[in-house]
Amino acid sequence: MIKLHLYIVILTTILLLCTAKSSFAQSSYVLPYPPPMPGNFLYKIRLVSEQIQKYWYFGNFGQFSYSLRQSDKYLVQAKTLFEYKQYLLGDDALKKSDMYFKNSPKYLSYAKEESKNIDRQQKILKEAALKHIEVLNEIKMYVPKEIIWNPENSHPTKIFLSGTLAEAIRIRESCL
Amino acid sequence: MMKKVFFILYPVALLGLTIFSYLFIDPNLIYLKDFYSGFAYKYRYEVSFFYLLILFIIFTSYLLLLKLISKKKIDFKNLRFLIFITIAILFFSYPAMLSFDIFNYITTAKVLFFYHENPYIVMPIEFVGDPLLSFTHAANKIALYGPSWILITAIPYFAGIGNFLVTLFIFKLFISIFYLGTVFLIWKISKNLFSVSLFAVNPLVVIETLVSGHNDIVMMFFALLSFYILMKKRSIILALIFFMLSILIKYSTIFLFPIFLYILWKTIRKRTIDWTKIFYFSSFFMLVAFLLSPIREEIYPWYAIWFLPFVSIAFQKRALLHAWLALSFGLLLRYIPFMLLGTHFGVTPFFKTALTFTPVFFVLIYIFFKDKLWLKISFR
Repeated sequence: MIKLHLYIVILTTILLLCTAKSSFAQSSYVLPYPPPMPGNFLYKIRLVSEQIQKYWYFGNFGQFSYSLRQSDKYLVQAKTLFEYKQYLLGDDALKKSDMYFKNSPKYLSYAKEESKNIDRQQKILKEAALKHIEVLNEIKMYVPKEIIWNPENSHPTKIFLSGTLAEAIRIRESCL
Repeated sequence: MMKKVFFILYPVALLGLTIFSYLFIDPNLIYLKDFYSGFAYKYRYEVSFFYLLILFIIFTSYLLLLKLISKKKIDFKNLRFLIFITIAILFFSYPAMLSFDIFNYITTAKVLFFYHENPYIVMPIEFVGDPLLSFTHAANKIALYGPSWILITAIPYFAGIGNFLVTLFIFKLFISIFYLGTVFLIWKISKNLFSVSLFAVNPLVVIETLVSGHNDIVMMFFALLSFYILMKKRSIILALIFFMLSILIKYSTIFLFPIFLYILWKTIRKRTIDWTKIFYFSSFFMLVAFLLSPIREEIYPWYAIWFLPFVSIAFQKRALLHAWLALSFGLLLRYIPFMLLGTHFGVTPFFKTALTFTPVFFVLIYIFFKDKLWLKISFR
């Protein structure tokens, strides 16, 4: 009986080792959970809260944190939407994430002009950029390069996803 | 004779406390490095003994004062003089003797008014190289206090003209003004010298407010002011504004909200209000807030300021007064385990709790036997 147990344990371990894939994160930076998506009633509340928070996060360090947080949220939103093949909405979300990400270093340079030490924030920005690039490369694997989006009651739209993703990666790389 | 002894003993004890406080200067406080001796860290037994001695003298003087007032040997002028002496002497004491909160107030104000950042988002520690970081103990936390406190600290912060020591003592002065305001309100509400002295000269109130400069007194001042405005049947809106200001200092007065609503309801319906009951229940509700404080962190001695103003107004029964006084004494004893052992861990928390409640326990036992309470219970 003991031999049988031992045999099962060894076999399971071998099977696990053979099938497991190694996956290492490039950055220890943690992205948030997916926020409420377009179509959800909480999405409108999220947009209002986003506008209010813009004023709550005053100061250059505050604006830096705000921009980075929003960029993170929209990136996660874009990833989720792409996974559900909602390319038009995903493309919009990714562009918003880019816009916020571009703002982050701007506030750091303002803070530097005020003689604030920005070493810690620069480190965070670099880690965030690495994590974003990691996610963007993942998205690149499963989205089409371009797609014609046919909404029900509107004209079709051509979306150049590969271009949007390349631009998003370029923005992040400029912060490394 | 008793009066003379008091008027010598009390100022001497306060002076002793002021000098003694400088033994606790933080080694990282560069602004007072000329006064740094390291005595409190090297001679822990001696310091604990002197602290206990000063506490005994101050408490004895306090009890003496209460006796003199109950015998009507001290009048309004004497008490007023005594309160001013207390403020004047303790103004010069070193504020971070028992707690570092005053540094925290200054640092939080600096985050907002100097760095122009939101202290609820940005921690002081993010301003690498700021000289205040070397001695501010909660630099790795976002603002712990309410927005109205942070906003009114603009006054002492800007009055400090960027000089740390001036700012530090102006913060003390600022707190002293609110102490004076609270004492004045207790007088206006109670018109009773005993109530005023019960609060104003209570060693716990005096040490935590005039030495350590805790902002709890500011919160209680606005709460009392709103009650006073309603008592005098003046503007309800003004009372509401002051009450909200109080809540937004340190949030604890939210426990008074049901009482405040009850007063408003009675005022609007033009019904008579039993103010003795109001203050009685206010002290009870704030005592509940005090007893619930370990849920968040621990019972800090200065949290007693939340209920002591109401206790001073509402409670005149001897037995209960003795219990309050014992609790005030016990709370000040809480500092001894850390003073002696230099750590907040190990046996320190146990001794802190034991020292806080032992005096209350003994006083209650004493009252039980002295007043023959078992007879009253058995005859019911």
